[in-house]
Formats: sequence, structure tokens, C-alpha cells
Amino acid sequence: MTQANEIVLKQLGDITLLDIRGDITILSESFLNDAYADANNQGAGKILLKFEKEAYINSGGISVLIQLLAKTEQNNQTIGIIGLSDHFTKIFNMVGITKFAKIYKTREDALKAMS
Amino acid sequence: MTPASNEHSIEISLPSKIGYERIAIASSAALAKMGGVPAARIEDLKSAVAEACINAMQHGNQWRLEARVVVHMNLSEDRVVISVTDQGSGVSEVPEYPGITKIIEENISPRGLGVFLIQQLVDEVRYNQTVDGGHTMTMEIRLPK
Repeated sequence: MTQANEIVLKQLGDITLLDIRGDITILSESFLNDAYADANNQGAGKILLKFEKEAYINSGGISVLIQLLAKTEQNNQTIGIIGLSDHFTKIFNMVGITKFAKIYKTREDALKAMS
Repeated sequence: MTPASNEHSIEISLPSKIGYERIAIASSAALAKMGGVPAARIEDLKSAVAEACINAMQHGNQWRLEARVVVHMNLSEDRVVISVTDQGSGVSEVPEYPGITKIIEENISPRGLGVFLIQQLVDEVRYNQTVDGGHTMTMEIRLPK
């Protein structure tokens, strides 16, 4: 019943885009961790996480993201987020994700700010 | 505590399996829409119902597939009330969400996040223990006047 994840890595100048397709739940843990490991192994310093606007995100998925942010903090990486609905933008603010990652309205805004 | 029932009441019984919370999410969202709850508040309710169901499956029923999560939904003139009941044996309380800074800086597990979100997203939350040892979490969203 949970939509499977697909994560596509793209290099946009010095920014690594993780294009995350599907829902974000505890079942996304291995997909996200593997994609992050790939980006990290490629020496990514700036990572942009792109979510689907209609994605279902629950506390299990948010926990996975928080643990990913712990790794990016340790590795001094800059993280941006795009594609969130207004509702999940509010939730990411509530749980404090915006202390460690900046949410942008559009990909263009993110690329401009992070470059 | 038996929730009030009327012609606007719905009850569903879910297995303790991740993914089945979506049945409760869709049902509660449809009921809230019928009651005229604004779209943004329906999104709040959907997330709160998801977290309450997952909490009941995980902490109350400890993912035992045979243990059910019963979701009772009621629409009245001034509110939508959703109660989520597990079949007990698990813990009745989950740890308080420590906050993201503490989680990241002290490398601790991000626990208690679901209940934290529920408390932030609905107008009222109540907790009760059932006579057979389970737990009920009741959430309310008030309708706009």
C-alpha cells in the first residue's frame, strides 16, 4: 500500500539534486540512505532534496530525514529542500527541519541561493 | 469510553500493518470535507490520523497483525472527532519529542515525533485507557463558525 521510492541523482553545477519520487515513510530509509551515500561518495557539498508535492510523508519518514540531516551536519554539507506542499512546509517548520535545511519555493530559487 | 454515535458516525477496524492507516486518513478526510472543514485543516487532520494510527499499531499493538486498530469518526455541528483505539499490551506512553537540535547534536533517536505532531495539528487531544487494557487517543478539530 506504500508507494515505492525512486531517487534520481542529478548534478546541477556544484549542487547535487536528489529527486525523490514517492512517499516518505520509514520504508524509505534504505532508499534515502543509499542515495545520500552515493552523493556523499561523489563529494557533494551542496545537496538539494526534491520531493513530490502530493507525496505522503509521516513521522517515520521525517525521522529518516532527521537522521540524514545529522549526517549532513557531520559532513558540513548545505541542504536545500524543494517540492513540498504548504502543509508539509508547515510540518517541517514545526519539527525544526528548517534549522538545518532551507526550504525553497522553486528549483530556480534554490539553485540561485545555493550556488 | 464509547464515542458518541449518530448518523454521521463511521467506524473502521484496521490491521496493525503499516500502510493501512491510509484507509483511516481517506475516510476521516472525506468526513471532514462533508462537514465543511477548510482544506488546510483537513491536511492537518490527515497527518494527525496517520500518526495516531501508526502509534496505535506500533506502540499499542506492537505490530501484531491480529491486533486491531479501531478508528471511530464522528461529525457533529461544531467539530470532527476521531478516536483511535489499540488493543493494548504495548506501552501507553511514548517519549517526549526531544527536538531536532538535541537529536542531531547528541545523536539520539528521534522518538515521540508522531505524538508531538498530533498535539500541534489538532485542537484537542485526549488519552484514555480502555477497560480491556488498550488505549484510546481522541482528537478534535473544530469547525469554522
